[in-house]
Amino acid sequence: MTTVAAPPTTRTKAEGPPGQRYSWSARGFATPALILVGIVLYLPFVWTGYLSFTKYSGVGKASWVGIQNYRDMFSNPEFYNAMLNTLYWVVGTIALPVGLGLAIALLAHGIRGSFWYKLPFLLPYAISGVAVGVIWTFILQTDGALTEALEFFNLPGQDLRWLLDSPLNTWMMIIASTWQGAGVNALLFGIGLASIPIGPVEAARIDGASGWSMFRHIYWPMLRPLTTVVVGLAIVGSLKTFDVVWAMTKGGPGKQSETLALRMWKSTFQENQWGLGGAIAVFLTVITVLAAGLYLRRQLSESRSVV
Amino acid sequence: MVLTALLVPALLVATACSSSDSGSGTTTPATAAATTSAAMTQSSPAGSGSAGSESAGSESAGSGSAGSETAGSEPAGSGSATPIDCKVQASGALQFYTDKAAWQPDFEAMNEKSNADCGLSLNFTGYSDSAQYDAFIKQGFQTDQKPTLFTWHTGDQLKELVDQGYIAETTDLWKAAEANGDVPAGLIDNYTYNGKQYCVPLNVAYWVMYYNKKIFADNGLQPPKTWDEFTKIADTLVAKGITPLHQMNIIFEFVWYQALLMGSDPTAYEGLGTGKAKYTDPASVDAVKKWYDMESKKYFIDPGVQTDPQTLLKTGKVAMAYFGTFFTGQLTSVGMKSDQDYGVFVLPNVNPSVTKQQVALETGPLCVGAGSQDEQAAMAYSAWWMGQDAQQAWSDKRGDISFNPKVKAADPALSALLQDQGNWQIQKRWLEATPNPIYTVASPAFGEFVTNPTDDPMPMLTKIQDAADKYWAGQ
Repeated sequence: MTTVAAPPTTRTKAEGPPGQRYSWSARGFATPALILVGIVLYLPFVWTGYLSFTKYSGVGKASWVGIQNYRDMFSNPEFYNAMLNTLYWVVGTIALPVGLGLAIALLAHGIRGSFWYKLPFLLPYAISGVAVGVIWTFILQTDGALTEALEFFNLPGQDLRWLLDSPLNTWMMIIASTWQGAGVNALLFGIGLASIPIGPVEAARIDGASGWSMFRHIYWPMLRPLTTVVVGLAIVGSLKTFDVVWAMTKGGPGKQSETLALRMWKSTFQENQWGLGGAIAVFLTVITVLAAGLYLRRQLSESRSVV
Repeated sequence: MVLTALLVPALLVATACSSSDSGSGTTTPATAAATTSAAMTQSSPAGSGSAGSESAGSESAGSGSAGSETAGSEPAGSGSATPIDCKVQASGALQFYTDKAAWQPDFEAMNEKSNADCGLSLNFTGYSDSAQYDAFIKQGFQTDQKPTLFTWHTGDQLKELVDQGYIAETTDLWKAAEANGDVPAGLIDNYTYNGKQYCVPLNVAYWVMYYNKKIFADNGLQPPKTWDEFTKIADTLVAKGITPLHQMNIIFEFVWYQALLMGSDPTAYEGLGTGKAKYTDPASVDAVKKWYDMESKKYFIDPGVQTDPQTLLKTGKVAMAYFGTFFTGQLTSVGMKSDQDYGVFVLPNVNPSVTKQQVALETGPLCVGAGSQDEQAAMAYSAWWMGQDAQQAWSDKRGDISFNPKVKAADPALSALLQDQGNWQIQKRWLEATPNPIYTVASPAFGEFVTNPTDDPMPMLTKIQDAADKYWAGQ
C-alpha cells in the first residue's frame, strides 16, 4: 500500500502544490476553447476595429486613413437619421413587445390553462424576421389588407401610406416586430410570475390589495430580476435591428427608414466602403455595450440593495 | 470585456445571417420580381420547357456551320485558346461560381454540349444573395483559390476587379467575335477598360415596354411609334381609370430617368457616365421635369404597391411596364402568353429629332480569373460560349434572347421586336454606366422622388452632382 501511495507524493513535490497542478491542467483543458473564442470572437472584433481606420473596398489592400471614417460618419446626416430610427426602435421595442408581453402575462396569470392563452402570441416567434417582414408587407403596402379593411369599415387612415412615409414606416415595422416578439416576453414574464412565492401575494390580498396596487407593490418589484433580463435583451436586440427593415422597406424610401445596422451593412457591402461600415459597427458596439452595461449595472446594484 | 467580445461578433453574425436570410426572403413570391439580380435569376424556368424540343434540332443543324464561320475569321497569334478549337485540357470540371443559383439546371444542361464540343464542363456553385456572393468572389481573389469562371456585374464593379488585375483579358476573343458577327455593335463598350476587353457576355437584356394586349384592344389602342402617340395612350388610359405605367421606388427607381434622358438627349445621357455631362445640365433637369409631369398626370402606379409587376400587368392593374427583356420569363411564370396576352414595343424617343431609336442594354459578364486554375480552359470555354452554336442552345434552354444577333429568339414578341435592331442605338443601362459612389447617392434620391415627386428637381440633382463632382475629381 505504501509503495503504491508513494509516487503521487513525489510527483507533487516535483510539480508544485496540488492547487497549482490543478490550475495547470485546467488551463490545458481550456486552451482549445480559448483559441476558438479568440479566432471566432476576438479576431473579427479586432479586425473590424482595424478596418474602421482604413480605406478598403473589399478588394486590394486596405490603406490607413486614421480617424477619417469616424469624421465622415459623424458629419453625415444620413448617419443621424439612422441613429434616430434606431432610437425609435429601442423606445418602441421596450414600450411595445416588452410592455405588451408583460400585460399578456399578467392577464393570463393564475387563469386555468393560461398556457393556451399565451400560446398564440408565442407562435409568431417561430417565424424568421424576414418572413414576418414579408407577411406584414402584404398587410401594409398601398392597397394592402390594412387599407382595404379601413376602407371596408369606412374608418379613418385610408389615405395613410404606411410604408412610404417616415417615421410612420418605422413605427409600423416596430408593430410588425411586436407581433412577433410580444409572445416570448409574455412567456418569460409568465415564468417570473409563476416563481413568485405565494406567501407575499396572499398576505397582500388579506391586506386588501388587488388590481393595480397588487401589481405596483407585489408583482412589479418581485418581477424585477426578470424585467432586467427582458429589457436588457430588448435594448440589445433593438439596437441591432436589421431583418424586418430589410424585408419590408430595405431602409427606404431613399434612406429614410434605415437603422444603424442597415447603414453599416449598406456602407460595407453595397457602397463598398468597408472602413466606414467598420466605423459604424464599432460605434454600434460601443453604444450597445454602454447601454446594456449601464442598464444592467444599475438594475443589478439596485436589486442587490433591495435584497 | 467578455461582453464586448461576445457582442461584436454577435452583431456581425446577426447582420450576416440577416442578409443571407434576406436573400431567401427575396425569393418569395411577394418580392421576387422586385429584386434586380433575383429578378433576372428567376426569370427563366418556365420558359425553358417549351423551347427544349426546338433546341435539339437547331443544335445539331447549327454546329457545323458555326464552326466553319469561326474558323475563317480567327486572328492568329493569340497565345491562349481560340474560338476555333476549344479543346483545351483541364484538370477536371471548371470551377464555376454565380449569384444566379436558379439557373443551375440550364448551366448543367449546357455541360453536355460543351463536353461534346470541347471536352469541358462546369462544376456549378450557385449563390442566391448577390451581396454575399460579391463578397465571396472578392475574398476569393485574395487567396490561392482564385475563382476560375464566374458571373459578375459590368460597370464600376467590373472595373474594380480589372484595376486589381484579377480578371483575364479577353481582347482576342472579342476581336474574333466581332469579326464573326457574334456580338451586336455597342456591346463591347460594357466590357472595355483602358482599350482592352475583359470577360465575355453571359446574357443581355434590352429595356423595352411590355403591354397588356387586352387593355390595348379594349380601348382601341395601338403600340405607339412616337412620343406623342405614347402620351396619348397614357392620357386615354388615365381617363378610363386605368393606371398606364408601372414604377418602383427601389432597385429600378432610376429607369424612368434613364428612359426620359436617353430619349431626349443621348449625348447628355452618355456624358453622365463619363463625367462630361452634369446631372444639373438643362437636358437632365428637363428629363426630371418631364418625369414630374408624368407623375402629376397620374401615369404611374403608387410605388407602395408591392405586388409583382408581372401580376400587375396580368390583372390589368397597370397597362404597361418598362423592363429589361428578362421580364418575359416572369410573365411566362404567371401564365401570360407572348404576343397573345402581352406584347412588347420599344419606348419611342422623347425628342423626335433623335434619329436612332434609343435602347438601354444591361449585360452580365462571364469572367475568367487571372492566374486561376484552368485559366486557359476557362478562356476556351468563354470563346465557345460566345459562338452562335452554344448561344442558340442556351437561348432555347432559357427561353431568353441571346446577345448573339445570329441566334433566333423562340419568343414571338421578342423576335418581332429584335427585327428592328438595326435601327437601334444601344446605350448602357444607367446602373452600369454610373460609377458606384454616384449610384449610391442617386439611387435613393430617385427612390425618394418616385415616392414623393417634387416639381423642383434641383435639390435632388445638385446632391447627385456633388457626388459626381467628388468622384470625377478623384479620377
